Amino acid sequence: MRQNNMLAMILAGGRGTRLYALTKKIAKPAVYFGGKYRIIDFPLSNCANSNINVVGVLTQYESVLLNSYAAAGQRWGLDAKDSGVYVLPPREKDGAAFDVYRGTADAISQNIDFIDQQNPEYVLILSGDHIYKMDYSKMLAHHKACDADATIAVLPVPMKEASRFGIMNTDETDRIVEFEEKPEKPKSNLASMGIYIFNWKQLRKMLVADMDDPNSNHDFGKDIIPAMLNENKRLYAYQFKGYWKDVGTVDSLWEANMDLLSSNNELDLNDPDWKIYTEDVATVPHFIGPKGKVNNAYINQGCVINGEINNSVLFTSVKVAEGAKVNDSVLMPNVEIGEGAIIHRAIIAEGVKVDAGAVVGSPDSENIELISKRVRGE
Amino acid sequence: MCNAFGIVNYEGPNVNVKGMEDYRPVSAFSFLGRYRLIDFPISNMSNSGVNHIKVFVKTNPRSLIEHLGTGRHYNINSKRGKLHILPAKNMDDVDFYNNDINSYMFNMQAIEDVNQPYVILAPAHMIYRQDFSNLLDAHIESGADITMLYQNVDNAKEAFINCDVLNLNKQKGVLSIEKNRGNSKSKTISLETYVMSKDLFISLVKKAANISSLYWFRDIVNEECSELDIRGVAHRGFVACVNDFKSYFNANIDLLDYDKAMDLFNSDWPIYTRTNDSCPTQYYSDVTVQNSMVSNGCIVEGDIANSVIGRGVVIKKGAVIKNSIILPGAIIGEDVHIENVVVDKKARIVRKKELIGHPDQPLYVKRNDKI
Repeated sequence: MRQNNMLAMILAGGRGTRLYALTKKIAKPAVYFGGKYRIIDFPLSNCANSNINVVGVLTQYESVLLNSYAAAGQRWGLDAKDSGVYVLPPREKDGAAFDVYRGTADAISQNIDFIDQQNPEYVLILSGDHIYKMDYSKMLAHHKACDADATIAVLPVPMKEASRFGIMNTDETDRIVEFEEKPEKPKSNLASMGIYIFNWKQLRKMLVADMDDPNSNHDFGKDIIPAMLNENKRLYAYQFKGYWKDVGTVDSLWEANMDLLSSNNELDLNDPDWKIYTEDVATVPHFIGPKGKVNNAYINQGCVINGEINNSVLFTSVKVAEGAKVNDSVLMPNVEIGEGAIIHRAIIAEGVKVDAGAVVGSPDSENIELISKRVRGE
Repeated sequence: MCNAFGIVNYEGPNVNVKGMEDYRPVSAFSFLGRYRLIDFPISNMSNSGVNHIKVFVKTNPRSLIEHLGTGRHYNINSKRGKLHILPAKNMDDVDFYNNDINSYMFNMQAIEDVNQPYVILAPAHMIYRQDFSNLLDAHIESGADITMLYQNVDNAKEAFINCDVLNLNKQKGVLSIEKNRGNSKSKTISLETYVMSKDLFISLVKKAANISSLYWFRDIVNEECSELDIRGVAHRGFVACVNDFKSYFNANIDLLDYDKAMDLFNSDWPIYTRTNDSCPTQYYSDVTVQNSMVSNGCIVEGDIANSVIGRGVVIKKGAVIKNSIILPGAIIGEDVHIENVVVDKKARIVRKKELIGHPDQPLYVKRNDKI
């Protein structure tokens, strides 16, 4: 805890039901994004780059892969003497009934002992579901400057979409005067990003009270934040500028991948000062064969391209055979596309084979096709 | 686990890569976009279960030491294993004294302290894939004193010039070690890879040091051919030797033959390297890229053919790169046409719009150079 006395807790228990087959065996934070990453690489790399050196990762749904993935803290440089990634699934405790995490706040409540042990002054609550780059140390500086009890990161959204979000109404000093969950008639367009900084001592009291409240959903947005506002605590908004995306559906996951194809995309994964770290794989660079064609593509190492790639994102070691065409699609690691196969507007899950001559998706389909099983040829 | 420790030796006076060697030792040369030559012997050793590896660093060691780091990326056990960096004995003024025997003597205590009874010596300028545990088993089974790896080649007139050649008898016994003067096509090229007991290694080093302060290890082995049982074992598969600028260029270009590349890079035999955490490579629209290896972190707006592109290279609009090796971080400016060129790290070619070398005499652009 030497760096800035702030501990990060990442809520990574989400199932991501609207990602269907992609989250059948793995939790949403472990889903692939951007040619080589998993979603959780973003908050973890942000923590490492923001000088936060102890991170708790709260897992629940299908957590075997996620637990081992997150526990290897050296991937994000979180393995120095005072650093660490602590994977925290629900556990049985002495003198308490064993229960799953009942809500976002409950996940933290059940780990009060862990946080006490770390003894931080501030706790940063993050979600493991979002794609963005953010310097949390700046948010902490804002929190301190406002002498806040809690600070909530907010993102301006288009007014007509504001009713889909939790909206913060603030005064001219950024102090939050009201919080409305999915308001029908929004008064502001500042949406909560689900990123909170709390003074630990205060949050601890709130959580202890919340745990035994039979009427509570044990949720930050629904219970803790409204309760703090009721008690007239100092809640401040911290406005975030930049790329932020919730990739909760097949379409939004596809869109976020496609965003990387535009030149000068806002996320800029090539920024040497704010790298996103991930698993290191041992493969050769990607190889574009004598008959390969690439046109507007984002391609990772290990790929072997003998076909044609248009407007697509290819993860590690994807193989595209001669005559195959991949258009407007996302191909996850080790996907194999057979000779002459044609892919349109699809996400193809890890390791799936598309046989020679097969056709997947259509150029004018409204929705994105998710392929998670082998596609046989004609 | 393997009952041997490894030593990655440095190259002899027969290796001389003009230009690139001014900036780093041969073992730290960038190779095929994302590797350095040292990755090959170390990965071979690590994959063979050799857990204790000593690496000699000669001149300009900065890039090599940074690259090796703790050795964790080579899959060497961080507690039981060891990646040990040994300083070469270096007398800058009198280069001919800078032989490997002097360096072994200089580090003798560290070598004597090793527990493993066998040693595997391998150089970084010979690129190949080899299971050393099989080689060690063959060595022990044969009862030989020294086992040497060699390759049958049929291009010894053009390639492997000044490399060691094993003069073998019918039973693959080594009669002598000669030099390849390029006078015939077929040769048995020594891969400068030796297996022997630690005790024999130490006694040969000490003996060599006694005879002449100019001896290299190969000289003492050559002298002992009649006394000791020295045997050759043929390596099969891809081998490249980087002993001059041309061979460095060719070794990269050769691996654009994907089947050849897969012979060297087998999925059961990973070649490890240090990650740079670069993002995937971004290709813009209307680019033509053919028969090329491209590393991560590049931004490609121009055309590429038959080339190897290192990490984080930027290729601007209208640029054309043919038959070239672009080392990491280089920038190829708008409408620049380059052919048969090696562009060293972080060089920027912006103003000069045409750089065309001959395939037999590729051009070299210096590190950090601005053109």
